[in-house]
Amino acid sequence: MFISLLKLILTIPFLLVLPGALFQLAIFGWKSVSGGGKISFFEKAVLTVPFSLIIVDLIVLLLNKMNILLKGPVLVGAVLIFCLVCFAVYQLRFGKKKSKKEEADETDSTFDFSTWQAIFILLALVLAIFIRTAYLSDTVIPSATDLGHHMYWVQTIINTGHLPNYGVPDFIIGEHMIFAAVNLISGAGVMTAMPALLLLFFNITGIFTIAILLGRVFGSNKIVTMSFFVAGSLYAINPPQGRYVSGGVVGNIMGDMLIPVALYFLYRALFEKNRIFAGLFLFFFVGLLYTHHLSAFVLIFSIAGILLLYLLLNIKNALRIVGDWLKIFLKPFPLAVIFLGVIFLLFVFIPSYFNAAAVSQATGEPMKATRVGLSLSQIEGSVGSAQLILGALGFLLALLALKTKELKYSVALGWFLILFAMAWKPGWLYVNIPSDRVGNYFFLPLTLLSSFALVRYFELFASATSRFFSTIFLFTLLFFVITSGLSDSAEAFKAKNQFQGVMETFHSAAYLAATVDTNKDIILKDHVNIYGDSWYKLFFMKDYKYPLSRGVLTRYVDPTKPRETCTRDMISDPESDAGKACFTDTGVNYVVVNAQIEGNSFEKYPDFSKVYGSDYISVFKKD
Amino acid sequence: MSSKIIIIAAAILIIASFSVLFVIDAKNHNYDYNKAWSVVYFEKPRDNSLDFAIENHEGAQAEYGYRIFVGDNKVIDEQVEIDAGATQKISPVLDSEKLKGNKILIDVNYKGTDYKIYKSL
Repeated sequence: MFISLLKLILTIPFLLVLPGALFQLAIFGWKSVSGGGKISFFEKAVLTVPFSLIIVDLIVLLLNKMNILLKGPVLVGAVLIFCLVCFAVYQLRFGKKKSKKEEADETDSTFDFSTWQAIFILLALVLAIFIRTAYLSDTVIPSATDLGHHMYWVQTIINTGHLPNYGVPDFIIGEHMIFAAVNLISGAGVMTAMPALLLLFFNITGIFTIAILLGRVFGSNKIVTMSFFVAGSLYAINPPQGRYVSGGVVGNIMGDMLIPVALYFLYRALFEKNRIFAGLFLFFFVGLLYTHHLSAFVLIFSIAGILLLYLLLNIKNALRIVGDWLKIFLKPFPLAVIFLGVIFLLFVFIPSYFNAAAVSQATGEPMKATRVGLSLSQIEGSVGSAQLILGALGFLLALLALKTKELKYSVALGWFLILFAMAWKPGWLYVNIPSDRVGNYFFLPLTLLSSFALVRYFELFASATSRFFSTIFLFTLLFFVITSGLSDSAEAFKAKNQFQGVMETFHSAAYLAATVDTNKDIILKDHVNIYGDSWYKLFFMKDYKYPLSRGVLTRYVDPTKPRETCTRDMISDPESDAGKACFTDTGVNYVVVNAQIEGNSFEKYPDFSKVYGSDYISVFKKD
Repeated sequence: MSSKIIIIAAAILIIASFSVLFVIDAKNHNYDYNKAWSVVYFEKPRDNSLDFAIENHEGAQAEYGYRIFVGDNKVIDEQVEIDAGATQKISPVLDSEKLKGNKILIDVNYKGTDYKIYKSL
């Protein structure tokens, strides 16, 4: 066990720190110089993870395109070659300029924290990691539905050595490559804690990526300090944080880490008129396209909201501003990134959702009830009362301090407004995606505004003429923020683990995998009442849709199109005419159900033998 | 300097968190650790074999009673002691002539809980 842990702990930095660190060395040099723009040690350290993630993805895509079998030694070799190339570029670009580098060291104090600020950040991090660890300790055994679906594809990559052809736009290759790479090098299986640990790593890195974005937008280390508390500790369990880590919402977790990085480079590119940062923004945009379609969609809208607001506030100079922006991007480095990105997207690997049908499905008038927008109370429930109130306060304070020529106010206000519109009234923007999924991104601009609000309020408090009222308001606000913001963390300590149920599910799956003939036998399992059932398919690795599954009952009712109902009817009412016809049509001859619920009913049906019975799972065979 | 301390501290905290979670998963990813359950199954569900197995995941050595019915007639009533975490395979010897057309029920009992499996031959 400890050897496996050690291998995993060594593999993660090899894949998720080393390539990003060397890549940044090649671009920025050792001492943080970049064509006039500077980047601190803190920022570079934070950026190693997102850089590495995208780089490893691109390496895997390239190896796959070259028809090289994806194996552990191949990946190790490819990563090392990449690192050597980066080091050679570094030597070429910076090797002879050592003395100059020392002079040009980063002097920006945004990420140079005072002792008290450092202590506050460390306490916030301890709290953030402790809450998440406590929560995950009851859910760490792989059992979540989404994670099970994703890990099927990861296992496919591991087994075949090639990237899969999904055939559906629901999965994106970037959600799976890093897990496969970690497995192939460390040997950590997909049915271990490895996937959850990687997601936790990305989630914690996400706290840092928001911090560096805030640092550059507001230029204040106080706001950076506060962001660790807001992003790390408030609502640490609610989606899209701890619950999404254990739930295996892979794309969202990665997207929440990458979106702030893309905006960070875009902001710096526009604010500092820096072509290198412009190129790196494009690099992350391409990376996000390979990682998660919804996150890329949200990023596009976020950028549109921010830039349009800025142009609107500076309408007289709009054309000149657009011209200036274009000049930044029409330089060799950004153009080279665009060129390579297009080459990758068209010739190396085309993301599964790159088709007209998927695009038209996500845009246009919302069709379903789940896509017409969230009510204000739903938005409050999604992001948390304290976060929403702090965000609203931050919005107000940013509005009062608005200086139209400063891009930072457009970032703070425009990002919030566009995501609010996407979640509240998506029809206004022709957005046709599940509104609750958009709501999960709302915490990003709210973290920005909340951190701004807290720091700004402390500053106002210090200079207030009436200390009495401002003191009462300050303590009321802080009491509310802490009690409401940390209330969900209580779940971390009262949750009861489901380990026995999961292991009984796995046992039944292992039993069937060992005894049935998957070429002749068709299994139907119940998703509604069995914990961890989505992992069943990993025991067979026959097909993504094997075994069949009775899904959540609401999924069988769809006003826009007819849905198959056999998987429901064969468990809910197997003796009905419809149920019997379904057994004939589908060839299902094994049914796996919860022993305490449908298990008792099935024992009454004369056409079935019961071949497996535990406390939790019953398996019936159709005679 | 403070930013380096923060990054190093974060790395240490992450490694500590990973180690705790990894160990929790490794220990619990086991049919027996902190669990109490039993299972009975036919070893060959696809044919007419009546060989079956009882797995003891109750956390301690346990005595299971099992009865076999052919139709409504009880033909076997036995006890079997199984070590913690062990599997007991049982191959009942029955007159094949009497089995035809009947439902064969195997009823395993542990501390008042019944685990039933059956086949119709």
